[in-house]
Amino acid sequence: MNLLFERRRTILTVSAIVLAVAIAALAASTTRDAVAISVAIALVIAGIAAITSKDVRATHPVFTRAALTVTIVVASLVGTFYFSPTTNFNLAIGAAMSIVLLGLSFLTGASGQISLGNGAFMGVGALIMAIWANHHATTPIAITLLIAVAGGAVTGLLLGLPATRLRGPYLAGMTLAFAFAFTAIVNSFSSWTGGDAGLQLPNAATPPHWLVSLFTSPTSLFATNTMWLTDITIVVTGVAFFLMANLFSSRMGRAMRLIRDNDVAAELVGVALPRARVIAFIVSSAYAALGGALWTLINNSVSPPTYSFALSITILSLLVIGGIGTIPGAIIGGIIYAYSASVISWITSQTGLNPQGNFASQLNGIIFGGLLILTMLFAPMGIAGAVRRLWMRRHARSSP
Amino acid sequence: MDPFLTSRIMSDVLSGVTNGVIYGLVALSLVLVWRCTGILNFAQGAMPMFATYLGMVIFSSHLGYWACVAISMGAGFAIGGVTERVLVRHLYGKPELNPIVVMVGFLIVLEGVAAAIWSTQPRSFPNPFSTIDWQLGGKPIALSDFSVYKIVTAVIVMTAVAVLFRFTKLGLQLRASALAPEVSRLLGVRVSRMLTLGWVLSMGVGTITTVLVASNFFTGLTPQVMDGVFAFGFIAAAVGGLDSPVGAIISGLCIGVTLQFVGDYLNSNAILLVALAILIVSLMIRPNGLFTKSSARRV
Repeated sequence: MNLLFERRRTILTVSAIVLAVAIAALAASTTRDAVAISVAIALVIAGIAAITSKDVRATHPVFTRAALTVTIVVASLVGTFYFSPTTNFNLAIGAAMSIVLLGLSFLTGASGQISLGNGAFMGVGALIMAIWANHHATTPIAITLLIAVAGGAVTGLLLGLPATRLRGPYLAGMTLAFAFAFTAIVNSFSSWTGGDAGLQLPNAATPPHWLVSLFTSPTSLFATNTMWLTDITIVVTGVAFFLMANLFSSRMGRAMRLIRDNDVAAELVGVALPRARVIAFIVSSAYAALGGALWTLINNSVSPPTYSFALSITILSLLVIGGIGTIPGAIIGGIIYAYSASVISWITSQTGLNPQGNFASQLNGIIFGGLLILTMLFAPMGIAGAVRRLWMRRHARSSP
Repeated sequence: MDPFLTSRIMSDVLSGVTNGVIYGLVALSLVLVWRCTGILNFAQGAMPMFATYLGMVIFSSHLGYWACVAISMGAGFAIGGVTERVLVRHLYGKPELNPIVVMVGFLIVLEGVAAAIWSTQPRSFPNPFSTIDWQLGGKPIALSDFSVYKIVTAVIVMTAVAVLFRFTKLGLQLRASALAPEVSRLLGVRVSRMLTLGWVLSMGVGTITTVLVASNFFTGLTPQVMDGVFAFGFIAAAVGGLDSPVGAIISGLCIGVTLQFVGDYLNSNAILLVALAILIVSLMIRPNGLFTKSSARRV
């Protein structure tokens, strides 16, 4: 690996790891804690070293993405030990949302199709998760999540088949009709779905014993299931992002971008247009279902009215504001979602509005709608796109 | 004849037609904007809703129903024109995604602002027509003064639009500037004005529709009153073809009647499911709608 041949870099990295491990060993009260913290620090430093090296970035893109993912995931996992349960909960909800955004980003940004029904696809995943857990309580979480993803993919296939022949506005309208019909679907099968009241999970997810026993004081470390659920969500999010990053730059991803920019040219160079469109739709709805299933897991229940048309619009807004077709855009959107409620209540308190009044209760929609319009008119690539452009401009100026 | 007019089937047909003309009108207003400017207006329900609220505010000072309708119409025309000039003008020639996203954003802003000002409580918009079903030999027919008012108004609006587009110079200019803007400009048509006029006209149709919907005593006017109607109207427009005004009206009527039967013989949940199924199946058979001439691009 090229990383090893950059001697100065390697020496620096190794000494940084040794130093960090030494500090961890001195600071931690027990050996087990020291080992855990050291491993985490070593992974983070090694990851940063790998992804900041130009050679590695150029020659080993998959390894770089893996290193970046591991670094961010490990850093977030360490963070969850110190965050308050509320912060962890927000983090988990935002991370799950960023998966949904990533799926829509692939559909819209890479293939130029648009969906106004991803909130309903989330609902499909969320309900399948709850229904399966209620009938087969012993199934491991990972398997149940995969079943929910498969369910989302099948739904995507059913709706995606007509999508192969549809152009933008028709497709948007069809997914909008699906978003409206979702409530009716839920109520038609209320013996399964629990109707508007929804379903509870039979038992809350708890951390496995071997993991608890790894740490000396389980009561303080795993005091809340929230932290464990947040950790699961972060790891799943990491895997989802890693897979999507590779998909974006794969042959498939390049074909998708060509379809977006010029579908006639794509057909001429041999891209099977209908197949590519269906696949993009399936990937997007599978990702949405995964996000929804995680929400069920985090909340320990599912409430179908959550997955309304309004949620689909919120998803679209977050994606546009974050940046369509970019991976950082999905992360930014997830963070905005996690904190939008607190920011809006802060605005309400600062402006002295009556929190129960008409205006305060509509603030969320008005702000998101307004930002959606402004972003699309003035910065169509969103925050991620604007930052990237600034960065490129500065880079172009400083380098010869 | 008596038993037939009061039968369950006939009453479904009549109620279906009463709903269907509304879907047809929404579809027609969508088709107008699409034909004139090439944009699918997702705020086609919310913009007239706002205009109708503006009319309602005046109504609270006891001006009477018709004055209110007139004010709503004026507000609708104005909102249509201003929106086209200020917002929509920046969207021509952009990727398909941009107008969809902006109009969806406008939809939630309008619904949010309306709810912030006038609350989400339904407001009644009393109209001079009775909603009591007509009687025939002691049995009710599914028709009332109010539903006849709806149907007659819809027919007048549809005829007016058809006459305008088919038989007037203005209609010719509207069609020409949508079809070939460059040529029309060279021939002296003020294309920019025609685009604005397309939105104004469409918003006029939309406002009449919203007034008819909101005049219903049972639902009244709420910020989201047009959401469901818009969804069915869009389905009608998509099934008929976004290019075809006639298709929009016919499929609006058909969908209204079909869904009435579904709601009566199955249940109310099945209505949306069947509507979605109709949309998906018809788009799979004819992606550009049943009433448009095929225009697949081939290289």
